[in-house]
Amino acid sequence: MSASPLSTTGPGTFPRGIHPPEAKELSASGKIEVLPTPKEVKIALLQHTGAPCEAIHKPRTEVEAGAMVGSSEAFVSAPVHSPIAGKTAKTCSVTLPNGRHVPAVPIKATGEQLEGDALFEEIFGGEWPTSGLERYSADEIRTATREAGIVGLGGAAFPTHVKFAVNPEKPIDTLLINGCECEPYLNADNRLMIEAPMPMISGTMLAARAIGAEQMVIAIEDNKPEAIAAARKAAEGSPVRIQPVKTKYPMGGEKQLIPAALGRIVPTGGLPLDVGVVVMNVGTATAVARAILRGKPLTHRVVSVSGRGIVSPKNILAPVGATYQELIDLADGLTPDAARVIAGGPMMGFALGELDTPITKGTSGIVVLTEAEVRERNETNCVRCGHCVDVCPLHLVPTRIALASRARNWDLAKRYHMMACMECGCCSYACPAGIPLVQLIRTGKASAPRA
Amino acid sequence: MEPITIVVVSLAAGTMLLLAVAMSFVLGWANNAFHVEVDPKIVQCNEVLPGANCGGCGYVGCNEYSEAIVLNGESVTKCPVGGASCAEGLAQIMGVEVEQTWPFKAVVHCAATFSQRLLRNTYHGEQTCAAANVISGIQGCTYGCLGFGDCVEACNFSAIFMKEGVPEVVYDPCTGCGACAEVCPRNIITMVPFKTSEMLVIACSNNDFGAEVKKVCTIGCTGCKACTKANDLFTMEGNLPVLNYDAYDPDAVDFSLALDRCKMESLVWVGVPTAEHIEATKDMEVPDKIEADFKTTVDDTEWRG
Repeated sequence: MSASPLSTTGPGTFPRGIHPPEAKELSASGKIEVLPTPKEVKIALLQHTGAPCEAIHKPRTEVEAGAMVGSSEAFVSAPVHSPIAGKTAKTCSVTLPNGRHVPAVPIKATGEQLEGDALFEEIFGGEWPTSGLERYSADEIRTATREAGIVGLGGAAFPTHVKFAVNPEKPIDTLLINGCECEPYLNADNRLMIEAPMPMISGTMLAARAIGAEQMVIAIEDNKPEAIAAARKAAEGSPVRIQPVKTKYPMGGEKQLIPAALGRIVPTGGLPLDVGVVVMNVGTATAVARAILRGKPLTHRVVSVSGRGIVSPKNILAPVGATYQELIDLADGLTPDAARVIAGGPMMGFALGELDTPITKGTSGIVVLTEAEVRERNETNCVRCGHCVDVCPLHLVPTRIALASRARNWDLAKRYHMMACMECGCCSYACPAGIPLVQLIRTGKASAPRA
Repeated sequence: MEPITIVVVSLAAGTMLLLAVAMSFVLGWANNAFHVEVDPKIVQCNEVLPGANCGGCGYVGCNEYSEAIVLNGESVTKCPVGGASCAEGLAQIMGVEVEQTWPFKAVVHCAATFSQRLLRNTYHGEQTCAAANVISGIQGCTYGCLGFGDCVEACNFSAIFMKEGVPEVVYDPCTGCGACAEVCPRNIITMVPFKTSEMLVIACSNNDFGAEVKKVCTIGCTGCKACTKANDLFTMEGNLPVLNYDAYDPDAVDFSLALDRCKMESLVWVGVPTAEHIEATKDMEVPDKIEADFKTTVDDTEWRG
């Protein structure tokens, strides 16, 4: 494998990683359904990585669908918008699945709402040009992206306009669109690529204009043949290249996808832009197209509601701010043996305690596991078998880091590059002793003194 | 014995003797030449300090604190372990007056036992507060005690133990070193000056609105402000009252009105038990500490795999 920074194709895979049961079949064929407009949505004022927003409107203000309800002056931040027409109420506080306690603006639905197929058509329908995009300047695209509140829809919710801010010392030559969706169970990106590939292609080209990238690649795992075919068809005649990559977890991590799809290696502690690449999720590309070509903010997203604890697994187009309960209800509720609800995928998601929590821009899925699937593992001693080392896609030594973290030995943990861990969970999955490795490492990252 | 043996032995012995004499002169010279003047006060201070090396004074150990007192004029009242007698001893050495100080001790700003916390879920992960704190949904309250006892683990003086999920401080052995306050991931333990053996504490850390608090706790402070109206020492910070311990005068303040008005159980007295308390609880048994039945160690050896 060539590791040259200018390499343009990769071997389609990366060393190490795991092959958990995919369980994609549960919701893979489910056409995206639209959630009926909820009576009330709660728009969390911090849905992204960065500075929190401030509520703009006083309580009891009438807002239109798509109106901005929260914004911030900070650069690393993204405004939030109301997905429905309604009336704002007094700011309340919500606890998001990641444990953050944030203020939220409740909006009660009033008047006419766009529903069902009409809403789907409004968001994904119509013409999505792939030529003539030169009339949008890079600055225009960046400003519109920020105004539309677009953040990375893969899960981390990093504000997209920050990624678009080009550093002249580190020129970008490639835009890599991440259509891997390597988490088991989830099909949100998969269905989006199958049902609405055109806006994704337009969005890719617009994003590439914003960062000045010449090469545009959409990487899709080879367990999604339908999505690959749909994307190939949509990309015909455009400079966008569709690159299938092998199915492996965590292929969707940017430090794994870049070597696999492009053959470049991101240094430890570095960012993709160190090797001239910007990585974006397919949903984000779609949102960029809608923001630039239609002038509409990011207010809805596709969420996979899946798992054996769900009666009829589905992919749902839901307004940001609808509750987990409402989405689960549309999927006919929980089975009697449902035991755990997870926000996000089973590998990196967060277990949810309270279903009355609003979904955010970063919610890619809801996975419900059954009693049999969550049985408790009893922890035993580390036997130094090295399984965790064999599977760590970042080439770390998870057992050492985790046990150093348990002993609160931060110097030792940092010597083993604790901070480089991306918490993908491969080590915990592979550990035969049932040691909660990734949890210990996460704890360490949170409690270790900074600097 | 052959003559040659005698010669060899005496030669060896003679050489050693010569070396010893020469070396003693070298050592004697070095002792003078490299002599470091240590202020005898530092040595004296060291003798007065308890030698616990707990770091409660803010210095690395007792010796550093002695040096700070003698060389930098640091206050003599900083040793939480030695207390008043130690401060007096240090003051005598330094020839200064002891200013009035109070021992700082740990108080816990949460009083909800497991049964009083709502929305609790089963949790199988790492059984420490630090680990549980980075996960949501373990219990409804995101401010209150998690109950895994990181503070108990951190205490070197066996002065804190868990009782039905909330830490309880035993004030006799508590030296006020602050280790528990430092390790608590939710910062619900603070150090306050104990002006009497019993102190009033606001036993809640939940800064949400009352309605939100009621959803997650049966005894949490709802921020009703009744105590601030009853007594000037209480001021509101967000949705929680704070007690002004600097202005707290044990003889002059009467908290009975505030205690009476508090609808929740958010105001509690903590401190050294009085004779009646001891009498009332003398038949109770202290629960044994439950230890995990596995042990995983980590050492400093480099990985050579």
